[in-house]
Amino acid sequence: MTPKITRRNFLRFATLGAGATILAGCANPRRWVTLEPYVRPPEEQLAGVATWYASTCRMCPAGCGIIVRIMNGRALKIEGNPEHPLNQGKLCARGQAGLQLLYNPDRLNAPVVQSGRGSHQFRAIAWEEGINTLFDKLQGAGDQVAVLGGSSMSGHLYDILGRLTSAIGASAPVIYDPLVSMNGYVALKDVDMALFGKAALPTYDLGNADIVISFGADLLGPGLSQVRYGIEYGKFRSGRLGQRGYLVQLEPHQSLTGAKADLWLPVQPGMEGLVAQAIIDLIASHSFASPDPLRVERAKLFAGPVDLNKTAAATGISPTELLHLEQIFAEAERPLAIPGGGLSGLPDANASLTAVQALNFIVGMPAGGPGGMSLSPEDQLSKLVVKPQPSSFSDLLVLLGKMKAGAVKVLLVLGSNPVYELPLQAGLAEALAKVPYVVSFAPIVDETAAQADLILPDRTYLESWGYDVLSPAFDLPVVSSQQPVVTPRFDARSAADVLLTVAKGIPAAAKVLSWTDEVAFLKEVIAQFPQGAVTGDNGVIWERYLQHGGWWPAAAAAPQGPATMQALPPPPLQVAAPQFLGDAGQYPFFLHLYVSSLLSDGRGANLPWLQASPDPLTTVSWQTLVEINPATAQKIGVEDGEVVKVSSPYGEIEGYIYTYPAMRPDTVAIATGQGHIDYGRYASQHGSNPLLLVGAQPAWASVRVNVTSTGRKVKLSIFEWKPGVEEGFPNQAFPGG
Amino acid sequence: MALPVHKWTMIIDLDRCTGCGACVVACHAENNVPVQTEREITRLRAMHWIRIERYWQGAYPDVQARFLPVQCQQCGDAPCESVCPVYATNHSPTENLNLQTYNRCVGTRYCQNNDPYKVRFFNFFDPDFEDSLTNQLNPDVTVRTAGIMEKCTFCVQRIRRAEEDALSRGVSLKDGDVIPACVQTCPPGALVFGNLNDPNSQVAAALREQEQRSFRLLESLGTDPAIYYLKGGSSHA
Amino acid sequence: MPEENISRPSPTERGLPYWEQPLPEDKELAKQETEARKDNLLLDVRAPADVNRYMMDPMRRQSRRFWVLCVILAGGVLMWWGTWLYQAINGIGVEGIGRPVMWAVYIVNFVYLIGIGHAGTFISAALRVLKFEWRRPISRAAETVTLFALSMAAVYPLIHLGRVWKFYWLLPYPNQRQLWPSYHSPLLWDPTAILTYFSCSILFAYISLIPDIAMMRDHTTGRWQAFYRIFALGWRGTEKEWAHHETTQNVFSYGIIPVMFSVHTIVSWDFSMALQAGWHSTIFGPYFVVGALFSGTGAVIIALIVLRQTMNLKFFLRPEHFNGMAMFMLVLSLTWDYFYFNDYMAPWFAGAPVDRTLNILLQSGAYAPFWYTMLICNALIPALTLWSKKIRTNLTALFIVAVLVQVGMYLERIIIVPFSLARNELPFSWGVYTLQAPETMITIGTFCFLILAYIIFTRIFPIIPLWEVYEGQALHGLRKVGHYLLHLKSAE
Repeated sequence: MTPKITRRNFLRFATLGAGATILAGCANPRRWVTLEPYVRPPEEQLAGVATWYASTCRMCPAGCGIIVRIMNGRALKIEGNPEHPLNQGKLCARGQAGLQLLYNPDRLNAPVVQSGRGSHQFRAIAWEEGINTLFDKLQGAGDQVAVLGGSSMSGHLYDILGRLTSAIGASAPVIYDPLVSMNGYVALKDVDMALFGKAALPTYDLGNADIVISFGADLLGPGLSQVRYGIEYGKFRSGRLGQRGYLVQLEPHQSLTGAKADLWLPVQPGMEGLVAQAIIDLIASHSFASPDPLRVERAKLFAGPVDLNKTAAATGISPTELLHLEQIFAEAERPLAIPGGGLSGLPDANASLTAVQALNFIVGMPAGGPGGMSLSPEDQLSKLVVKPQPSSFSDLLVLLGKMKAGAVKVLLVLGSNPVYELPLQAGLAEALAKVPYVVSFAPIVDETAAQADLILPDRTYLESWGYDVLSPAFDLPVVSSQQPVVTPRFDARSAADVLLTVAKGIPAAAKVLSWTDEVAFLKEVIAQFPQGAVTGDNGVIWERYLQHGGWWPAAAAAPQGPATMQALPPPPLQVAAPQFLGDAGQYPFFLHLYVSSLLSDGRGANLPWLQASPDPLTTVSWQTLVEINPATAQKIGVEDGEVVKVSSPYGEIEGYIYTYPAMRPDTVAIATGQGHIDYGRYASQHGSNPLLLVGAQPAWASVRVNVTSTGRKVKLSIFEWKPGVEEGFPNQAFPGG
Repeated sequence: MALPVHKWTMIIDLDRCTGCGACVVACHAENNVPVQTEREITRLRAMHWIRIERYWQGAYPDVQARFLPVQCQQCGDAPCESVCPVYATNHSPTENLNLQTYNRCVGTRYCQNNDPYKVRFFNFFDPDFEDSLTNQLNPDVTVRTAGIMEKCTFCVQRIRRAEEDALSRGVSLKDGDVIPACVQTCPPGALVFGNLNDPNSQVAAALREQEQRSFRLLESLGTDPAIYYLKGGSSHA
Repeated sequence: MPEENISRPSPTERGLPYWEQPLPEDKELAKQETEARKDNLLLDVRAPADVNRYMMDPMRRQSRRFWVLCVILAGGVLMWWGTWLYQAINGIGVEGIGRPVMWAVYIVNFVYLIGIGHAGTFISAALRVLKFEWRRPISRAAETVTLFALSMAAVYPLIHLGRVWKFYWLLPYPNQRQLWPSYHSPLLWDPTAILTYFSCSILFAYISLIPDIAMMRDHTTGRWQAFYRIFALGWRGTEKEWAHHETTQNVFSYGIIPVMFSVHTIVSWDFSMALQAGWHSTIFGPYFVVGALFSGTGAVIIALIVLRQTMNLKFFLRPEHFNGMAMFMLVLSLTWDYFYFNDYMAPWFAGAPVDRTLNILLQSGAYAPFWYTMLICNALIPALTLWSKKIRTNLTALFIVAVLVQVGMYLERIIIVPFSLARNELPFSWGVYTLQAPETMITIGTFCFLILAYIIFTRIFPIIPLWEVYEGQALHGLRKVGHYLLHLKSAE
């Protein structure tokens, strides 16, 4: 710790006087309490007047800027940071719920050792002992150390981990959680690399587009950047005088985006790429529309012969609709084709994603400019800051292989919950059994921490330092700042500080990690930034960076269009109909797995606000639903609230039937998020984990399932009165079109 | 310096609302609205001051969800006010708000019966805030106990703070000084809030420009709500 | 003056008290008189001392069955208090209500109990004003039903309150904060009307009781006598006192009738002043009053049948009384039919979506069994059975019909309160009411209290107004006109 008075020490001393007394008074109601005023109140602190601190939300990888209302040392409310270029003062439901992570009653208040993995017999130890234990184990492991992290990890922590692992000769950290695969980070970057020569995520200027065809992309739901796309959607609809964009959504189960689309087409699962290919073929042969000849030429680079009937039969989209889609897309001024994360879960993900991105290329992207697709500009900062690189599923399997072979002596797990998240076939259980020492940094005991030997609880994001290089960033590259907005609870130590302390004892690491603590490290990183939009000259970069919520340039760099981008020769495009895993006779339904908009991939299940809020489309809380079309329900003889078993070739879970009108009859849809057995009182013993239905391969979106009734029925904890919504007032048109 | 009469009004643009539910959680956080367990929700006791009513329009395959955010409509002629026997709910003349006085409520629940929008929520039990979660409670808003009716107040605590702030600085409230939690967080900007008496406010401008799209919920009941909805879909260019 | 031709009663007949008049000598006339005496209480003259005995004997000694019943009922009352305490401590959530059904069984009980109270007043006051003589022996039993039903009804608004310990804020009392309850609310009109009604009823009943308490005072000794002496207020039975008594009874009778009509009208305005579908109907005022009289009459019939059998009051309660009550019940059933039709017709004709939904729900939806049962119990069965004098005077059959009427009228209130609340203009917020144990236990407990208080009352105070019987027997007589004896009443 530095001897300087840092902001967090200031806060700590300032809140001790009033905060501790008040908190003590709350915990043990006594007849007499002592009220002590601040001895020397800090300048900006006035009792009853809030102070706002800027930081970054870490509830998903998007990285929205937040400001947090602090009064008397307590965080009361999170709002979007109005100055932040990404979310411009807005915030989603998960971001709002972050306070309940900070004040979660199930947080560990000290490091613990577990006397037997899975026993839940935790013994609290002092921080010094915990850090020394970690140091001993790392020293003894040499280069046989592995790190597994989550996609919301702060960049500086990833940087420190990277330097540490390379110094001791271990392999680079693996960054993997379900959002990585379900949002398709790696797959999209690969496709962009092949098509546009840059491994960057695409960003879509939805706000200025006129025609948008979304291939299963739930932009308005938990996707790559929910808040920003929400803002863009507002502009898309009524932000431009006289212009209202037209949105087409292709997906088997209606998402939030599908509900808002002007045209919703229930495409057969996995066939979105075929539709994209059909549109390319039609443009190339300009069957219907009379597009820009340049577009026709570019289309010919990818196109094959047109066979509308074959496509219609495979996809469920009629030839008329296909021609309609081609016409509106080819003739639009600023069309967009947006790929859904589900495409990356298909066996031939690359071809499907390429088909969709090719559509963008055909209409002249990435040109930058309004209404188009561009590539996320964060690489402009790659020399200045390190950001976590999401790993592919194959990289993860490599790590698991090493663990199973006994080549890993110490495993560090930060911000990831693989025991809950990974499919059983991946063999994590056997892999862990072969690792002598597992260290978890989870602040709340989750399923993985329950299999760890030592837990050094990290601070939650509202008490942490760090930065997030936004990916995807939109017009500007942004480094979003993170700072503790309150005194950390329980004197929790951040993982970065723990690692820096440990590194001092390992000679190879001490050379590359010479900073006393993470703040010193961060300051050095930030100090090298050039002048930005909110930071002044060198003297006040750090303070302004914290105060305004990050660093971003004053103006966007020049847009990168085909003239400046080298478009590599595209591969021949052959989107094949995907093979679904599981015999169609035994498993008659397609499984449509989707990310819950409130619980995300499961990380939100320990927050009561997210558990108790009604899911936007089903209005159910706390439960796992098996959503099926009402006609299907009738056919297989089940009704709302019936407890059913959903089985795939890889696993089986239980759920409650919910008849959902806006989905295909051949599909079963289940949202992620429930099914925890640890992770706190709000998460555990609620619902089931549908990730158990997926096998150990990247193609998570091509599984077949069967649904059988157990004969039991439950009451759905549902907010709507479902029979009324379905039958009520059939003659009364809903005002709103 | 006397405060002018504010006609606090909200515009909800149904074309922009994506149904994401950020407003629901933001309201819980701002107003100390308790969370209900699974069992209580099955007993129809879910509490969300603002809710997204999701209706279905059409039949498969031409079916789509339609979202309707509904919270207390702050009626000018509120049916809930006249039936409260203890004046726990009454009208504020200076700001055209329907006020709820928690410590006066005795829990007859007549107001909820007479409320056609069913936006009032009753505390059937004492709210169960876990120890550490009480740190987050907003000190500007009373925490209610069992037997008390509550509902959206247009974040009256924010209105008060802004008014006091303006008064102490000797200026009048400008458009944008007061912003309820739901309006502040809404990403597509579907919620707009302001003083309808101010012709330069966003809400006044929106109603002027989008008059053909605007309607009020259950207007025929004569409640004179302060929330205007703008129709969604292709009902406008 | 041809005074010698005026026929006068014989010396033996003159000077004898009216209850010692012998039967006429003519065999035919004697037979007529015997028949008339059997059918008609007011012609079956007995010595007042005998009449007193008929009333006081069952009051003196109680069978073991009676005490066992008291213990059971007291257990029920304790169950009520215990459940209420549990509910007050834990919160109203132990009830089965939820959004949007915020009122359920407690309010139904409230309306039902106020309702059955109306018959008492009608029988004692309105029938008195209309000079229906068969109301004489039954008026106090009916009035007692009113009193205890009202007191139980008054408890229900407290039971259903979310914060019952703050109930006194509903009362207008001067306080430092200068806060008064809101008379805009029908919930304040209720207690005003009910308290007026209750205080008038209790005074009316008490004044009617005084001569009988005086009788008890004069026929008991010891502690009981001391008790009766207090409440007899020194009644001596002088002519002046009787004249005052008569005047007071008249004033109250005339006065309490509009109060009675107003009370249930005002209770009905709890509903018709609301916007809620199924409630917002202008016919509720008279509809509820008729319904109240209807169910009240049934309740009084039940009480009287039980009293007659268990206290052996066959002398006082004769088929003629039940016949009268049953005819009255039939008239009320037909009137109720009309008002319900009116209530149902107007929204049906207007066809507002929410009203149509409610109607379909009742006709063919989940609530159809309740609706049809209600119609059968309230409309069909009385219409089919009460035309027949045989059924009207057969106590078992009449008891069954009266019980079914109670069931039907209770269901009517269930349909109005929790079932209508389950539907409104926004289908997203529809709901359902699920009955839970606390409501059942409290309902049973309050009815136990009602019955317990009633049966204890009948053992302390005479449940038949004896002075009315004496008065009636004195005023009514048989007069020979031609070959027949006619039942005539002397002028007052």
